[in-house]
Amino acid sequence: MTAAKPEGAPLEARLALRRALREAPAVLRGFPLTLVLMLAGTGMQIVVPIAIQQIVDGEILAAGGVNTGGVLRLGVLALAGIVAAAAARRLGLVRMLRASATGLSDLRVTTFRHLHRLSILHTESERRGALVSRVTSDMTTIQDFMDFGGVAMILGSLQVLLAVGLMTWYRWQLSLLVVGGVAMYGVLLAWFQRILARAHDRVRVRVADSLAAVGEAISGLPIVRAYGAEDATLERVRRALERQFRAEFRANRLGAFLFSSAELFAGLITAAVIGVGVWLGPGRGVTAGSLLAFLFLVNLLVEPVQMVVETLDLVQSAGAGVRRILGVLDTPVDVPDPVDGVDLPTGSLDVDFAGIRFRYPTGPDVLSELTVSIPDGTRVAVVGETGSGKTTFAKLVTRLLDPTEGWVIIGGVPLNRVRFASLRRRVAFVPQEGFLFDASVGANVRYGRPEAGDDEVRAAFEELGLADWLAQLPAGLATPVGERGGQLSVGERQLVALVRAWISDPDLLVLDEATSAVDPALEVRLRRAMERLTAGRTSITVAHRLSTAEAADEVLVFEKGRLVERGRHEDLLAAGGPYAALHADWAAGTASL
Amino acid sequence: MTAPERLSVVLRDGLALVRRFVRARPGAFALAVGGATVFASAIVLAAVVVGRVTDDLIIPVLDGEAALGSRWVGGVLLITGVAVYKAAGITLRRTFAGWLQGRTQADLRYQLIDHQMRLRLAWFRRQSTGDLMAVSETDGRQATYILAPLPFGTGSLLLLLASIGIISWIDSLLGGITLVGLGGIIAIDLRGSWRTFEAFQAVQHSRGLVSGIAHESFDGALTVKALGREEYETERLARASEKLRDDIIEVNRLWAFYGAFIESFPAVGTVVLLMVGALRLKGGSLTAGELVTVTYLLSLLAIPMRLMGWVFWDLAHSLAGWRRVDTVLSERDFLVHGDLAADPQPTGAAVEGAAVGFAYSPGEVILSGVELEIPPSRTVAVVGPTGSGKSTLAMLLVRLWDPDSGAITLDGRDLRRFARAELPREVAFVPQEAFLFNEDVRGNITLGMPLPEEQIEAALRLAAADEFVAALPQGMGTQLGERGTTLSGGQRQRVALARALARRPRLLVLDDATSAVDPSVEADILRGLREADLPSTVVVVAYRPSSIALADTVIYLDGGRVVAHGRHGELLATEPGYARLLQAYEEDAAARQAERGRGTEGGAS
Repeated sequence: MTAAKPEGAPLEARLALRRALREAPAVLRGFPLTLVLMLAGTGMQIVVPIAIQQIVDGEILAAGGVNTGGVLRLGVLALAGIVAAAAARRLGLVRMLRASATGLSDLRVTTFRHLHRLSILHTESERRGALVSRVTSDMTTIQDFMDFGGVAMILGSLQVLLAVGLMTWYRWQLSLLVVGGVAMYGVLLAWFQRILARAHDRVRVRVADSLAAVGEAISGLPIVRAYGAEDATLERVRRALERQFRAEFRANRLGAFLFSSAELFAGLITAAVIGVGVWLGPGRGVTAGSLLAFLFLVNLLVEPVQMVVETLDLVQSAGAGVRRILGVLDTPVDVPDPVDGVDLPTGSLDVDFAGIRFRYPTGPDVLSELTVSIPDGTRVAVVGETGSGKTTFAKLVTRLLDPTEGWVIIGGVPLNRVRFASLRRRVAFVPQEGFLFDASVGANVRYGRPEAGDDEVRAAFEELGLADWLAQLPAGLATPVGERGGQLSVGERQLVALVRAWISDPDLLVLDEATSAVDPALEVRLRRAMERLTAGRTSITVAHRLSTAEAADEVLVFEKGRLVERGRHEDLLAAGGPYAALHADWAAGTASL
Repeated sequence: MTAPERLSVVLRDGLALVRRFVRARPGAFALAVGGATVFASAIVLAAVVVGRVTDDLIIPVLDGEAALGSRWVGGVLLITGVAVYKAAGITLRRTFAGWLQGRTQADLRYQLIDHQMRLRLAWFRRQSTGDLMAVSETDGRQATYILAPLPFGTGSLLLLLASIGIISWIDSLLGGITLVGLGGIIAIDLRGSWRTFEAFQAVQHSRGLVSGIAHESFDGALTVKALGREEYETERLARASEKLRDDIIEVNRLWAFYGAFIESFPAVGTVVLLMVGALRLKGGSLTAGELVTVTYLLSLLAIPMRLMGWVFWDLAHSLAGWRRVDTVLSERDFLVHGDLAADPQPTGAAVEGAAVGFAYSPGEVILSGVELEIPPSRTVAVVGPTGSGKSTLAMLLVRLWDPDSGAITLDGRDLRRFARAELPREVAFVPQEAFLFNEDVRGNITLGMPLPEEQIEAALRLAAADEFVAALPQGMGTQLGERGTTLSGGQRQRVALARALARRPRLLVLDDATSAVDPSVEADILRGLREADLPSTVVVVAYRPSSIALADTVIYLDGGRVVAHGRHGELLATEPGYARLLQAYEEDAAARQAERGRGTEGGAS
């Protein structure tokens, strides 16, 4: 891996940070003035060695003894300089930190938006914890770097420049010695950084792992408890934490070594400056005051190098964080909202599948050779065994996924030409899961149509025959549903999800096992209500309760990714094919003995 | 925002936190402080050495009073030696401070999860998982921030005292000035960290909000997309993110303000000492070398001073994180266990419930006055409309929740009397939504319990999961991904079912556990269960007559009450609500048949 990447990790970290800056331009807003303020602020550090040199050479060691007035005059001047510089530095710092916080907040929002633009292929295959960490802990690593490392780096490099300038002005030979030493040390650092970078990448992976383990232990607690698996679960979390600790400690040890090497280096440079300084002697213009000033300047030069070394871990973890965030931003949107897309035609919508093939990036075909047209106003039921491709079919109709090959055409428009705003308003999809947000019942329904008032929400429940269910809730529409809707039963969650889709008044309704956990009597009632309400509109219902198929205008039967039968329930039953077999199983299960 | 906490409270709690951490791992802390002390003494040594070198080498040689000769060797060696000593101190301190911090973080996170695993489910209903994860990861990290600079801070304190001592020894007036200056700067530091503390807490809170929104939003990604609400979600996050941004800016503003004092202190101090020192030098009570020592020492204090500032700063930071950790750790709503051991006999257990009442929150009654009497090895179906309390009853039977009134017993033993992890040796529960862990199939079935291989295989067969599991890339060793996302809903349910069956429990509770399974597969499973002759009492929540057909009797639940308990046929005849529920599909099909019939006739005429 190292051999294949000659550019090395530090460069990558730097490049990654630069890319991040491009993504968050607010970081650099007003930067020139900030830099000027910082530069002025750093001057504070330079005042001290100058004052020392002037006071020692000019006043203390001057012929005729110590000049009190001169010392005081210089001292007061220096103090005034220091205070002014501190004020400038503070102002610059506040400006810079404000800019970085703003830029990062923007970057967080951009990343979040991009994650939501990626298709469900991404959001469903990534672990939740990992997705969350993209907009939380990964961002925090950058924030920490900006707050500490970034400041240290900018101030530090300014300080180094000023110190080197002043050194050169005093005695260029000594300055050359110091700069040469720093350069050598810099090369050493760059090499060492690579090792540190790898250690930090490993830390990030371990952190994500243990976060996932903790999250799983919490959300799976009911099962853990029901099976008495507390000890096994704790052990798993403990192991993940232990691995995280080991990775972190390793990175930390490397950091400790790095920092102490900086100190050693500072000592060596100081010794060399004194040695060479006295060797050069007064004959080459080295005065006691300037050599003493040099000792202070070496400290000024080494201090920022140390601070930078100190924050190298921050650079590395920020670099790793940035790389992960850029990994998100660089992932092309696989199901994009078309540029200058068109709206769906008004009225009921027909659906055409032409030569559709679909497979997940790593896997066999889920759907193949699918060509089917559904006339507008038809009620279609999609049936088939698990894994037959019914759910994928539903996701293709709603463009949650794009086909690998072929076209989905709705209302005469290729689906990938339809503006998302139009598509989502006209085509509603209700997945099996009935996901609810941690808000009230009313707020969850309004999620489908934000402008709906309480009366409209109530009316929607009524239309679907759910007024009595709503009435028995303790606080009606204001009843909280809890995280993931956990305070409602699974069937109740599906009811709310259904009303939520219903209230958007769609022209094409796609239901994927949307009432699988609702009791049969209620399901029948719901279906009846929806049939009445959706009369003349197109609806596609994926179901394994075949009662849905009995009621449909047309049944599509899927088997292993292919459409194997289509037609009316009675005809298919009479044909004695795959549908008849499915139905026999179903009928055997429902016959009320 | 609440009224600011008093400085003394912040300090007291901060010190208590430090004491807690140090007490847990005193050895590492002592070693780190040792390293810091070495470092501090090295700084003092460096200044003394530089002063000596000035007096003995630099001034004599450069003023031409003495020849160079080999005078330089000693000076260079001394300075190098001090640097090596200093580097050793740094390595020691950083290594052990890092170890201490990492270890403490891991300890805290483990304590958190261990604590949470013992709390009642009721507590979790008020929390969001994303927020709890943030407490573990972010707040757990934050709470230990103090441990990185603490040894250095302790070392620095020694250094400051030593510096004052040395300066006083050289010149008492200069010493006094340094003491006053340092005292003032520490006072400013304390005030600064106190003021930032409140701001920190706001940052922590906002961070939790951001994490919570992100977690929920990605959790419901499918719904967000299906409804086209990506932008709405983004705005929701943006609002929280901007609040967080403003909180961070406020903290930074305070930091920059107080930081300015601390950072300029060494420079101001050096110049003041130089001025006063020059006057003393004139008076002859000080040599030039001593003056250099004093000023050099002060300039070397720049980094320790800054890090000292970080100690107070990080103390506030840590305390803010710790408060959130502590909120979880001091939650005492534990699930209380008895001391009864399981009695894992190979026979079904009798289940009884007496006057069972339950509400998730006051006023929201889910079950009331429920009476149950299920003889051993019987199979009972629980049937009722959506929202009638079936799932709640199922969870009460396996003690995921405790009834508010009344009691549930297993062979006459109240469920609450069982010791921890004992009840699961007799009962198994399959919820409506299968939860799988990020482990392989085998791990998901055993959940850490040693089970004979043939028992696992038999369970997989019975759950009709053997074929698809065998077809997975590594069979039973295949990793399933978080929440088992690599499997379909029906497959997840079958693995969850196998998990329960593999234990051969005395009471098996199935909550609509095959709702996502294909009818034909479900038929296989039901046939299998009927024939398997399990040593179990089975309670099955179901709608489908096929599942109900498994049952000896049926409990019909409506509005949180047992309306009737009897044989399926009797209930059909005597309970019109039950009949409506069970015959809904058939009636619907018949009605449609009739409608179509009319439709065709109408069309023909």
